[in-house]
Amino acid sequence: MSYFGLNKLGTLLNIIKESGGIRASLYKLYRMDELKLGTLIGTDKYGNKYYENPRFFYGRNRWVEYAPQYRLEYDGSQVPAEWFGWLHYKTDLPPDKDPGRPKYKWMADHTENLSGTTGQYVPYSTTVPKIEAWKPK
Amino acid sequence: MLRITAQKSLAGAKVSPKHLFPIFSRSSTDVAKKPEKIEVFIDDKPVLVEPGTTVLQAAALVGVEIPRFCYHERLAVAGNCRMCLVEVEKSPKPVAACAMPVMKGWRIKTDSEMTRKAREGVMEFLLVNHPLDCPICDQGGECDLQDQSMAFGSDRSRFTDIDFSGKRAVEDKDIGPLIKTIMTRCIHCTRCIRFASEVAGIDDLGTTGRGSDMQVGTYVEKFFLSELSGNVIDLCPVGALTSKPYSFTARPWETRKTDSIDVLDAVGSNIVVCTRTGDVLRILPRINEDINEEWLSDKSRFAYDGLKRQRLVTPMLRDACGELKPVDWEAALLGVGKVLKAAGGNITAVAGGLADAEALVALKDLVNKLGSEAVCIENSFPLDGSGTDLRSSYLLNNKIAPAEEADLVLLIGTNPRLEAPLLNSRIRKGYVHNETEIAVIGPKIDLRYDYIHLGEDPSIIRQIENGQHAFVKKLKSAKKPLVILGSDTLSRSDGAAILSSVQSLSRGLQDEMCDPEWKVLNILHKVANQVAALDIGYTPDLSKICESSPKVLYLLGADDCGITRADLPDGCFIVYQGHHGDQGASIADAVLPGIAYTEKQATYVNTEGRAQQTLVAVTPPGLAREDWKIIRALSEIVGAKLPYDSLEEIRYRLEEVAPHLTRYGCAEAANYFCEALELGKKTNAPIDTSPLDVKQKTLEDFYMTDVISRASPTMAKCVAAVQKQNLSKY
Repeated sequence: MSYFGLNKLGTLLNIIKESGGIRASLYKLYRMDELKLGTLIGTDKYGNKYYENPRFFYGRNRWVEYAPQYRLEYDGSQVPAEWFGWLHYKTDLPPDKDPGRPKYKWMADHTENLSGTTGQYVPYSTTVPKIEAWKPK
Repeated sequence: MLRITAQKSLAGAKVSPKHLFPIFSRSSTDVAKKPEKIEVFIDDKPVLVEPGTTVLQAAALVGVEIPRFCYHERLAVAGNCRMCLVEVEKSPKPVAACAMPVMKGWRIKTDSEMTRKAREGVMEFLLVNHPLDCPICDQGGECDLQDQSMAFGSDRSRFTDIDFSGKRAVEDKDIGPLIKTIMTRCIHCTRCIRFASEVAGIDDLGTTGRGSDMQVGTYVEKFFLSELSGNVIDLCPVGALTSKPYSFTARPWETRKTDSIDVLDAVGSNIVVCTRTGDVLRILPRINEDINEEWLSDKSRFAYDGLKRQRLVTPMLRDACGELKPVDWEAALLGVGKVLKAAGGNITAVAGGLADAEALVALKDLVNKLGSEAVCIENSFPLDGSGTDLRSSYLLNNKIAPAEEADLVLLIGTNPRLEAPLLNSRIRKGYVHNETEIAVIGPKIDLRYDYIHLGEDPSIIRQIENGQHAFVKKLKSAKKPLVILGSDTLSRSDGAAILSSVQSLSRGLQDEMCDPEWKVLNILHKVANQVAALDIGYTPDLSKICESSPKVLYLLGADDCGITRADLPDGCFIVYQGHHGDQGASIADAVLPGIAYTEKQATYVNTEGRAQQTLVAVTPPGLAREDWKIIRALSEIVGAKLPYDSLEEIRYRLEEVAPHLTRYGCAEAANYFCEALELGKKTNAPIDTSPLDVKQKTLEDFYMTDVISRASPTMAKCVAAVQKQNLSKY
């Protein structure tokens, strides 16, 4: 069977099943350009899911599936800092299983990169305005 | 005081026997005959010139420009820079072309070996003590020394002494907030000294020392304060005197130059607005022999920084809490339109002095369409008799330029030095060159020339009119008398009587004139577009506004009318349209941002009735729009659409109202002097006994007179400088 590659067919069916049916698989393929089978390692507070499948070679064996609300508007900066380390092989312990991670209440929430949106950072102007407007008293 | 002219000093030179004996002997024989023209040869080109013409002028006739530093057409000849040395055939030495009158048959060589060598030598001497700081010098690019050293200087330097004794260094002088001095750069052309003593009438500048110790300065620590002081910046051929507000700002080749008109006084001086990246960087005079020659008053030259402060950049409406809040155009126009519609014709419009003719005619059309006739100007003016129906009773009829030909000037209740500095410079020119006599009725003021003070009592005018005053004899004997009546006088309660009196006085003199073109009666205005407003049909009865209790008061740049909320009935809605936040905007319920004179193409008519137009130099700030367009937009919302959509169309409308308003550059003369007099006689009101007064008495009062100059920090510094000077012991 494996000689003819028919076991691939089984894998495909399995992937489709795991992805939640044909429609869901097609949507996933459309959204992420790939369909992969893996074990769910964890989910962050924004709903991003982190998978691992050691069958793929190193570098491709850990990945993130962005939360459905991002639709096609996902990018790398939506991965919070605590998952960044696991995703980039800095650590093998996902954040929920790592007891050594510091956690303080003053730690700021993760923000994604807002460049190109209305929320982007714009430095204040240092040039003197050419016209000084009248301010009514 | 100096009363020697270029012509006179030349005439003096003519009779010196050393060089010019032949001319002297001939002119003594046939004095009555018009002197014959002399033929001279400039670079072998023959040219016929009047006797007394200098070599430099004769060369200019054939298009040969001789380099010069100290010589200036409008100043006396000094002849001290020696740059204009030229060779004259058979003369052993080169002669200074600017001071030497030509003689018959002279062959002048402006490009010979000797001339070139002389120029190179002079240039070398000048450069020995001139610093090489051109890269940081503000004159760079428009420096006569730079240009002429390139064109006429030697091609190599022999100056090797720099490590040994160095160049001459001179301490800088502090001569006020307008002029920056870097005296090391001075080449002692003495143009500034001659300008100060001849044109401005301030003898503060002078030289001390001789040779390489010579210094130009004020002798004592003193500011050079004059209403014309900025002109020495243009006159200075090097960067010794530069503009303080403009220092280190731009190079001349970086700026865009737009020809325009000044609106800060009623003279309408021609200016060049220099801009870069939408910023007015400086204002320079433009030559117009009929108006400002090549001078410009300090207010016109330096008040441009007021165009960048206190500007109205967005429409505003007063909200429920009584505060002016920025809104967009749609909301502002709808808000104002609603009130205008509700007013049902009970609308009054007041136009200020800076409003252009296009906006004036649009506003008048709108107000008239809404059923009101109440359009007026800020300054009051007698309405009795012919009122403002006949132009002769509100124009400077004799024009500005001929004022220098007058032999007797009678100033009544006016201070031309501060109200119209360039007219005053003409009168002073007459005083210096023509022995003009000047008499003043009004307060004793400093006019920078001697005058006969007849008193402050307005009844003197009646006395002169009736021939009872001793001054009448002088008036009658004058060949070209000029009577100039100030607008301050006309806004008095007895203005009509004074005007009628002055009209009849002038009529008496006019009848004896042999020159019909010479007009004795002249009215001098203080604000730019007073004449246009009166021409269009605005009335000067501001006092009646409060009595008529309008529902809407529309202020078109009216900031000096003195109307406050208390003068108006409750619930009167005030609309202010203008470019600066000043008195008018602070009392307004709705503010519509218009634009200033550097930002629009608009018509202004000066005090002599000359229509001129400003051109767009910079774009309007923020949401501000052209004034007539605002009124046009408003008219559509009110439902009384004005029939013009473009500048051409509104100019066509202007032409319908008064055709001379679009004849740019021409001064439309007035007529009907007799009729105005006859109508005026009917009033026969008595003249008050209260003494005549002028609002601007000292130089302090000159600098801040309108919204632009009041917003200008430079003008504030000038006022502070004058006050500081007043405290000084000098």
